[in-house]
Parts: sequence; C-alpha cells; structure tokens
Amino acid sequence: MADAAFLALSVITIGSAIAALELRSLIYGSIALMGTLGGIAGFFLLLDSPFVAMFQLAVYVGSIAVLILFTVMLVKRELIFKKVEDKRRKFVGIALMLVLMVSLGAVILESGIKEITTDEPAVDFREIGEDFLTYYWPALILMGLILSGAVTAALVLARRVDEENDQRVN
Amino acid sequence: MIEISSTPIVIIAILGAVGIILPVINVIRKETGSNSFYAVIAFAALIISIAYVGYQFINENILPSALFSEDVIVDDAFGGFFAIAMLIVAIFTTVGSFNYMRKQNYPAIYYSLILLSTIGMVLVAYSTDLIMLFVAWELMSIPTYALVGFIKKNPQSNEAALKYFLFGALSSAIIVYGISITYGITGSTNIGEVIQGYSTLDPGLLPLALLSVGMFIAGFGFKMGLVPFHQWLPDTYEGSPPTITTLLAAGTKKAGFAATIRIVVLGMVVLNLDWTLALGILAIMTMTIGNVAAIMQKSLSRMLAYSSIAHAGYILIGLAVSPYSSLGLQGSLYQILNHAVMKGMAFIAVTGIITTLAVTNLDKLKGLGRRMPITALGLTISLLALAGVPPLAGFWSKIMLFGGALDAGSALWWAPWLAIAGVLNSALSLAYYGWIIRRMYFEGETEKRVSEPKSIIAVMIFSIIFLVGFGVYPDPIIKFVEFATPVISSGFMP
Repeated sequence: MADAAFLALSVITIGSAIAALELRSLIYGSIALMGTLGGIAGFFLLLDSPFVAMFQLAVYVGSIAVLILFTVMLVKRELIFKKVEDKRRKFVGIALMLVLMVSLGAVILESGIKEITTDEPAVDFREIGEDFLTYYWPALILMGLILSGAVTAALVLARRVDEENDQRVN
Repeated sequence: MIEISSTPIVIIAILGAVGIILPVINVIRKETGSNSFYAVIAFAALIISIAYVGYQFINENILPSALFSEDVIVDDAFGGFFAIAMLIVAIFTTVGSFNYMRKQNYPAIYYSLILLSTIGMVLVAYSTDLIMLFVAWELMSIPTYALVGFIKKNPQSNEAALKYFLFGALSSAIIVYGISITYGITGSTNIGEVIQGYSTLDPGLLPLALLSVGMFIAGFGFKMGLVPFHQWLPDTYEGSPPTITTLLAAGTKKAGFAATIRIVVLGMVVLNLDWTLALGILAIMTMTIGNVAAIMQKSLSRMLAYSSIAHAGYILIGLAVSPYSSLGLQGSLYQILNHAVMKGMAFIAVTGIITTLAVTNLDKLKGLGRRMPITALGLTISLLALAGVPPLAGFWSKIMLFGGALDAGSALWWAPWLAIAGVLNSALSLAYYGWIIRRMYFEGETEKRVSEPKSIIAVMIFSIIFLVGFGVYPDPIIKFVEFATPVISSGFMP
C-alpha cells in the first residue's frame, strides 16, 4: 500500500514539476506547481511527519503558490519574458539529468539503506518548537534576517522603472 | 548554550539591527536620504563589528580552533579569522560604493543587503551544525542574488543575476541533499556528532557517506568557483556592479572554503577516504583552466574573474594535502586572507576605473598610470601580489602553500607535483598581469590626470600598506594563521 502511494505521489510530484517548467501559460504553470508542492506534503505524510505535511500544505500550497498565482495574474502580459528555446540543449539537459538520476538511484539502492529499520516514534512537534528556541535559536534569528532581506530585495527588483523615474523627478 | 556576548552573536546583533533599520529609515525619510548617509551608517556598523572581533582576540576570549561544539556555532579562532577576512571585504565594498552608488537608486536597500550578506558569510565560518551552516549559507546568498541584478536597466546585470541565481539555487539544493543524506545515516546535524557517526558507520552505508561528501564538494564548489562548477562565474562577475563583484570574489567565495574545511576535509579524514588525489586533480585543473582562460580575455573584469578561479585552485592545494601537512592548511588560510585583500583591492580599482572613465576593456587602459596614478598603483600592487611576487604578502602565502605540498610529499608521492603546477601557474599568471601593467605604464602618451574618487584612494592606500607591510614583515600574520588553523590528523576525533 505504502509502495503504491509512494509511486503515485512520485508521478504527481515529478509530473507536475515538469509541467510547471514546460507549460507556456504561467497560470497553468503555477497551478502545476501546486501539484508538486502538494505531492511533497504527501511524502511527509508517508514518512510519519504529519506536522511538517500540514506546514507544507498551509505555507507552500496555501500561501506561496496562491501568491504566485495572484502575482502572475497582476503582471502585465508584455512584461513577461519571451521564451527562446534551443532544443539541442534541452535534450542534452534531459540526458544529463537521466544519467545523474540513474547514478544516484544506483548508489542509494546499492547501499545498505534498505537494511535500516527504526522503531522510534514520530517526532513530537513540541520538541521541534523547543529545539528552535533552544539549540537552534541563532539559526531562527538568521531565518528572520533571510526573510527580511528577501522581502526588501524582492520589492526593489519588482518595482517598476517608470515609478522610480517619477520619484527621481519629484 | 552559546553566550550572548560571544563574537558571532554580537556580529548578528550589530549588522542585523543596522541591516534591518536602514530600509526603515529610508521609508521614514521618504526615500530622500543621500547615498553617503546610508554608506556611513553601514561603514560604522562594519567597523564596530571588526573592532569587536579584534577586542575578543586581544582579550583572549576566543577559543583555539575548536571545529566542534555542542551548539550550532562556536566562538573559535577559525571563525574569528574568517570573520576578519570577510569584514575587511565588506568594508572595501561599502567604501568602494560611496562614489559608485551616487548615480544609482535605493542606496539604503543596497547597503542593508550588503550587511545581511556579510552576516551570512561570517556565520558560515562559525557554524558547527549543518542546519545552521545552511541557513547562514542562504543568508549569504539571497541578498547577493538581488545585489548582482541591482542595475535593473542593464541587460548584462540582469543576465548575471539570473545565471547566478539559477546556479546558486542548484548548489543550495545539492547541499541540502547532502545534509539530508548525512542526517539519514548519522542521525544528527551537529558536525561533531556527524563526524563521530561517520567514524562508526556500517560498511554498507559507506557509498551514501561518499555521496554526501561528494555533494558537499559540488555544492560548495559552485561558490568557490572550482572547475568544473565555474561556468557561471565570469559572466556574473562581469555583469554585476563592480562593487558587488568585490563581495562575491573576495567574500562569498571564502565562505565556501570555510564550509569545506568544516565539513569536507574533516569528513574525508574520518571516513579514511583517499579523496586527496581527487582534490589535487581539481586544484591543478582549476589553476590551469583559470589562468589559461584569463590570458585570452579582453576585459579587465573578466580577466580578474578567471584569475579568481585560478586562485581557488591554489587554495585547494592546501586542502588537498591537509591530512598530511599542517603547513598546507595554514597556507590555505593565509592565501584566503591575502586573496580577500588582493582581489578586493583589484575589483575596487576596477570600480574606480568604471566610475571615472567608464571602461574595462584592456585596450582602453593605456596610460592609466598617468590618468589615475593612485588607482593604477593599487591595481599594480594587487596584481603583483596575486602573482606571488616578493616581497608582497601574496608571496608568503604561496610559499606556505607550495611548502605544504612538498612537506606532504613523504606520504603522497604526487603532492610535490601540486607545488610544481602551482609555480608554473604563478609564472603563467605573471604574464597576463604584466601585460595589464605594461598597458597602464608603458603605452599611451597624451593622457591627462583625472580626479580619482577619494573612497577608492582610501581602499588603495589601506591595501598597499597591508600587502607591502605584511610582505616585508609577515610574522604577525603567520602567527595569527597558525593560531586559527585547526589541527587535522588521521587520528583526530570530536
């Protein structure tokens, strides 16, 4: 049962990721991205991590993907990049990716990872919270700084040039 | 638990607070503040931070290079050494931007992002936990993605930002994959526990351990510009604002080396992996490809970018022989500090040339010695130091690196060949550095002197004093490097 669920989730996740990259319409691409992010939430459920799965659904599928969708709808169509594609490069890229995936898969399957068994209970989310505020507290502060930097940087990069010029004149 | 007054925490507090306040001040002042106002605040924050690191060293509040800790960071000499190198680079970048940013928008955000990225660079060196290291890595990288594309109307800057972002995101993904495999087989993210876990690993899991170490090399290798992970580097260095190129070439690159020493070198030693030969081959490839490609360039920025790749190769020599010679790792750390100053100085000189003359093509540098004498002198000294010409500081670090390779010759038959390759590559680099110097001083006749930006002159004078001063009298730096270098041998354990 778990194997079938894993296979189904893999197909959904990877298929949606390819669709997100390849679809010409940014709106459909964004919706496909939701499938990828939702699939990853499914993996977390399979791995007995419902707490992380819930966060994945709430933050990534619920907020970020919806935000991307709104942004795409609000952006002027003429501002979107034109897609210039070199098919030879594309095929070389796919071939390289396949070689890499097969090699990685071979290493992982050949290793003793299948022998590992664990009977430890699923991690309590209270422990995760405690760890964030004790052991990982410097990392938590840095995460805040990352978000702050990313938001200010995104605002500057996304600001339209005509608005900047207006400001200079004023 | 890590103390509030420890060096990394104080650096986070100072630079983080100023980095967040700058955009807020910008909003309160309705975006009317001058560039100098924000630059002075950022400069003051960086000076206070480096002064605090110096104070901690002088008062002996810093542990000898600990490498492992029960916390996510450790206030040790290794981290302090990298903190000084990276703060110097951030100061260069900020001072060099005084003039450059006058014509650009959003100076407050610009300096804020530089400060945030600097925290990331410094914290990578202090990290003793993989999660902490990755978070610091991202804090270092994300602001620089925006800074590279800061000149939005310039298509080259846009292309540079996109390339840098895509390669950076890929390298981050590879690092996370490596971390997840490591956590899966050792059950911890604390580097000390990981190393212990590696040492008692079930033989069946060894391929996964190898895979994780390989992923760390690839992930960090992108930032360090090692061949074959270097393709993004010349375009990004050429297209980004020259001040930000300084930050990338002299700062973020060094964070890659700090992370490599913390994880890869230790992991290799504990796993008894004979990856030294692989690192040695990478070192020779990186040096040679970087130098050969640099000769063919016609743009000064691009030439320096390839030279930067070559220097990653020199530094890698010390890492390759580190399990067998402490001199090698000391040489790497010394070269990292020198390279931060030398390359920072060279790119700030490029900033001065672009700001004043708007050229980077080597043919247009004719007579620069007469037009911008101080900038040209600074560039000349940095190039000679990069080539390892005595008595400049770069000479001593290369001597230590090559000495380390010869020293390891008793255990590794191929190690002396690294020294030979290093000397040959240094000679090769002198050829193209000499070509630039010839252009500046021995070609062109009618050029008149132009006014040089004062901020550029300040960086040049500081760097000349550093490179010549510590070239003539290197003892203090060598002792500092010895104190900061971790002792790595085949029998060490957390």
